[in-house]
Amino acid sequence: MTRGRRFTWFGLYAIVVCGFLVLPILAAVILSFSSSSILSLPPPGWSLQWYEAALSERRFVSGFYMSLRIAVAASLIAGVTGTLAAVALNNYRFGGRDTLRLLLILPLIVPSIVIGLGLLQSYTLIGVNGIGFWQVTLGHAVIGVPYVVYLVLAAMTHYDIRLEKAALSLGASRLQVFSGITLPLIRTGVLAGTAFAFLISFDEVALSLFLTRGNTLPLRLVQHIQYYADPSVAAVSTLTTLASVVALVAAGLILRRGARRRAMEP
Amino acid sequence: MSAAVARRKPRDFYPYLLVLPVLLVVVPFFLLPLGVLLRNSLYRDDPRLLLVPDTTLVNYVKLLSDSYYSGIFLNSLGIAFLIALITLFIAYPLAWYMVQQKGRKLTILLWCVYLPLIVSVISRVYGWMVITADSGLINSLLIWSGLTEEPIRMLFDPIGMTIGMVHRYLPLMILPLYSALNRLDRQVLSASSTLGATGSQSFFRVILPLSLPGVFVGVQLTVAVVLSDYVLPLLLGSSRFPMVAPAIHDEALSMLRWASAAAMAVLTIVAVALVIVASNLLLRWLAPWSRAK
Repeated sequence: MTRGRRFTWFGLYAIVVCGFLVLPILAAVILSFSSSSILSLPPPGWSLQWYEAALSERRFVSGFYMSLRIAVAASLIAGVTGTLAAVALNNYRFGGRDTLRLLLILPLIVPSIVIGLGLLQSYTLIGVNGIGFWQVTLGHAVIGVPYVVYLVLAAMTHYDIRLEKAALSLGASRLQVFSGITLPLIRTGVLAGTAFAFLISFDEVALSLFLTRGNTLPLRLVQHIQYYADPSVAAVSTLTTLASVVALVAAGLILRRGARRRAMEP
Repeated sequence: MSAAVARRKPRDFYPYLLVLPVLLVVVPFFLLPLGVLLRNSLYRDDPRLLLVPDTTLVNYVKLLSDSYYSGIFLNSLGIAFLIALITLFIAYPLAWYMVQQKGRKLTILLWCVYLPLIVSVISRVYGWMVITADSGLINSLLIWSGLTEEPIRMLFDPIGMTIGMVHRYLPLMILPLYSALNRLDRQVLSASSTLGATGSQSFFRVILPLSLPGVFVGVQLTVAVVLSDYVLPLLLGSSRFPMVAPAIHDEALSMLRWASAAAMAVLTIVAVALVIVASNLLLRWLAPWSRAK
């Protein structure tokens, strides 16, 4: 009996904390449907005017495309390079392995404002303009790498290296082994890592401050909040949140269906 | 596991081939820039020439002795440990509850924890602005209930920033605690209760010590991310309570003092590294068995 009651108190506590976690996200969604430009909750009335305003605001639309291009390129670079490195870290012993492991986790610990400043000062040192697509994209790729490495390594915890050895001894090439055996087995980790790198890049503010003209979507939204703070910001972030949740759920479903299909194969 | 890892012949270049692409990204675009910052932090700032080559510690002396700059670092470290402490106390019971759950309840709980990580930081900031503004949710409730007549100022104040940071970084504390508590051997717990330990005895003598590694990972992560937070201090905080990330940005782009900004960046990394190293030493002392790995 006491056991049951204690769990109820814990359950209530869990509901309160979950409420705290969800509350501001919900508040932003609710306010995006407000009929007023004042930050008041509950809103005085309902309308879709902020969605209209957001979608016709050219600074948001161009910022969205800018952020999308950077995030796609950065997450692809981080996804490919991070996956190859994680496979090497998991499957082989080589000189400098521990140093490499530390180096690849480091961008997670070093503040991105520091990485951004370092990149700006480095570009200036070698006489390259600090502002540009590849200048900022490679910075974003760096902060995506730890997520890819970590999630691919996590997907490899039960990885059986003997499968690779068997294929090699049967005469398969290194490329065939990688694409036919390694990659299918670690696909979940690769996709999850790349998706995370994409989200991190799409949301990055501090690094982009130094290396863009303030023309990514998060920077445009920050500027808009500082000057207007009207609910069009809430409308934009509700749309991008919706997009990322839909993308994650879709990726999860695809992975699950793939797993089922593989399980049904003899 | 290690027995299954292939021991390759010393001449095998294949692992290095796999590692090369990531090095081509991380070395020139991460490692070398950190080196450039370190070198530039020893230069002198000049109003006209931007950076003057030198080897001087004058920037560091200024950062540590000038009360404006040392205040920034004290503010940031203080807030970082405060957030780590608050999130630890909120997260621990929740992580403990999550470990007991399975099935749909656990899925819902995990979604609640992951959701703030997926949602863009701007959206969360905006949500908190709506809640903590003078005409926002909390003040509407306070005025409606008659507790206050005037709205309480939270937004654009360290309080509003702290609430926002607790929310932003709570998942980073919950997840390591959850995985640490999940790894805990259930048999140890039942052994402690059959041997007559009370609830609080099992907690303080068994559960808490065994979950210490998770606690330390959570605290290290939280301190590191609070020190690097730029958006929340800018949008929820107050310029009367400067934090290190916005201050580095101002120093570099508004004041154009690049050497000084580089020194601030180096000091921030040193602060994060000191916290990690010191807490690892503390963990070794408190929980010597965790070193076994």
